[in-house]
Amino acid sequence: MSLGDDFVEDDEMNMSDEDGAASDSEAESLSDSDNEITEKLTEPTKTAVYNRDGLLDKLQDISWPEDVEWTHKLTVEIDQGQEAVDVNDDLAREMAFYTQALEGTRQVFGKLQEMGLPFLRPADYYAEMVKSDTHMEKVKSKLLYEKKQMEETEERRKARDNKKMAKEVQSQKMKERAKQKKDEIESVKKWRKQRQKSGFSEKGAGELDLEFGNGKSFQRGGGGGGGKKRPGVSPGDRSGGKGKSASRMNNKKREFRDSKFGHGGRKGLSKQNTAETTNDFKGGFRGSKAGGSNKRQKR
Amino acid sequence: MGKKRKHSETEAAPPVKNDYSAPERPKRTLLGWKDKNEDAEEPKAAPVFRNKEKVLVTCSRRISFRYRHLMLNIVSLLPHCKKDSKVEAKSSKGETLNELVELKGSSSCLFFECRKHKDLYMWMVKSPSGPSVKFLVNAVHTMEELKLTGNHLKGSRPLLTFSSNFDKDVNWKLLKEMLTQVFGIPKEHRKSKPYHDHVFAFSIVDDHIWFRNYQISVPHNEADKVARGGLDKMTLVEVGPRFCLNPIKIFGGSFGGPTLYENPFYVSPNQIRALEKRNKAGKFAKKIKAKTRRKMHELSNPLEPDEFADMWKDDE
Repeated sequence: MSLGDDFVEDDEMNMSDEDGAASDSEAESLSDSDNEITEKLTEPTKTAVYNRDGLLDKLQDISWPEDVEWTHKLTVEIDQGQEAVDVNDDLAREMAFYTQALEGTRQVFGKLQEMGLPFLRPADYYAEMVKSDTHMEKVKSKLLYEKKQMEETEERRKARDNKKMAKEVQSQKMKERAKQKKDEIESVKKWRKQRQKSGFSEKGAGELDLEFGNGKSFQRGGGGGGGKKRPGVSPGDRSGGKGKSASRMNNKKREFRDSKFGHGGRKGLSKQNTAETTNDFKGGFRGSKAGGSNKRQKR
Repeated sequence: MGKKRKHSETEAAPPVKNDYSAPERPKRTLLGWKDKNEDAEEPKAAPVFRNKEKVLVTCSRRISFRYRHLMLNIVSLLPHCKKDSKVEAKSSKGETLNELVELKGSSSCLFFECRKHKDLYMWMVKSPSGPSVKFLVNAVHTMEELKLTGNHLKGSRPLLTFSSNFDKDVNWKLLKEMLTQVFGIPKEHRKSKPYHDHVFAFSIVDDHIWFRNYQISVPHNEADKVARGGLDKMTLVEVGPRFCLNPIKIFGGSFGGPTLYENPFYVSPNQIRALEKRNKAGKFAKKIKAKTRRKMHELSNPLEPDEFADMWKDDE
């Protein structure tokens, strides 16, 4: 038996005695003809052995007897259809395998159902599975994570789109308001002119009342839009311009200080050493308003 | 009786006698009473077929982690297999393995051999005198990969689906038979589980055998009937492992013997690597060649003296 021959040489360079010459030439032709390395020879090695009879003999040897029940084998052959699947196209290849398995299972289940054998696992049948529970936990967490990522990206995209939309809508609104304001100012001017022309008679007054129908719009327009009614900034206010939320939170402090030092806040701290206070041995602080008005009176 | 008759005819004598005497007592055998009339003459039904397949799964030393996990996955898929320790010897592999198989009393063997820590070869061998096949294994994905999300009972018998091109040629037929016997779990095996909840798919694409293992999920309420319309709602989830087999040679004996089939399209991975290296080496050589060629060309075709070469020389 040529055990040694076939066996040892096979692994190293695949250049066994018979094939030596052929594979050499094949290798050279490969490097010349192919620019890329293919895992398959472009033309089959001429000296490949194909002993059909021997194969058939062996097949007879090992196969089970003809009349064996199909339930021992559980095999089914699926016709693949004519189009050969391209090996490198992963998706198509996997689809082909999937459909083959699906088709096979359908056929087998049909047979098994006819035979009346139980083949579906009942819901309460618990037994050892091929993958452990901990592994399935990992799989589940990974799937959930992926789902979450997808959802987050969706949300982000939606938020971005919404913002864009909102911005557009807002700019439209602004334009409208500006237009309205302009219109109203124009109408006032026109009214004035008319009055001038007609010599300030009372008659003209009533006609243009309509123009001032929505008095509200003036106020809002004055504020510059923005939707929020800004508290008016009165001249004496030293709170520092824009009403920020932080300072609004300090309202209580503000109120306390107001009550202590009166209007004018810190900067307007009243005098501390006056006639009254020098004579005050207790050192109490008696209501600033009284002190402040005193100060003024003195002057 | 048969004193004068020859020995060869004594068999024929007693049945003839039976017709005249009272019915004899049924013959007594080890297993019980065997009625003579039932015996022998009419062809008895063939003995009940028992699939007594036992697979021995081993690997070589210096096998890498991915291939070891593949082997372990296969061990968990086949309850009729027995895993054995790593096989050491390099030279007399065939004999060692044959002995091992006989020792364990298995009828077939799957031997994973990893060479150079990179290539995995799988031997599938039918034991006493059966054919053996050597495959090159590619594209291995084990069950531990998180993308393969299915799960099934450990030891449940799989449904085997083969693509139709297994019947096209003798070598594929032989491979199909061997795959059925090795990967199909015997019917009433001790460790097998009753229901069928997974399916193997063997397909031949591009002269390679692709293996996939799917879990079957189909809506059902009873164990032996699919819910109405359920067959259409059946989905398959991949369990793994995945691999692709490239048959190299088929031998007549186990782990050796006369070569019955050689794959004409097979290129060993060593050759592929050697070719790649040669190509890379070729780049530099080509560059040098191109340079010398250019030089020669320039020497042989000198340029005409340029009229304008001295134009700017006077301008300093």
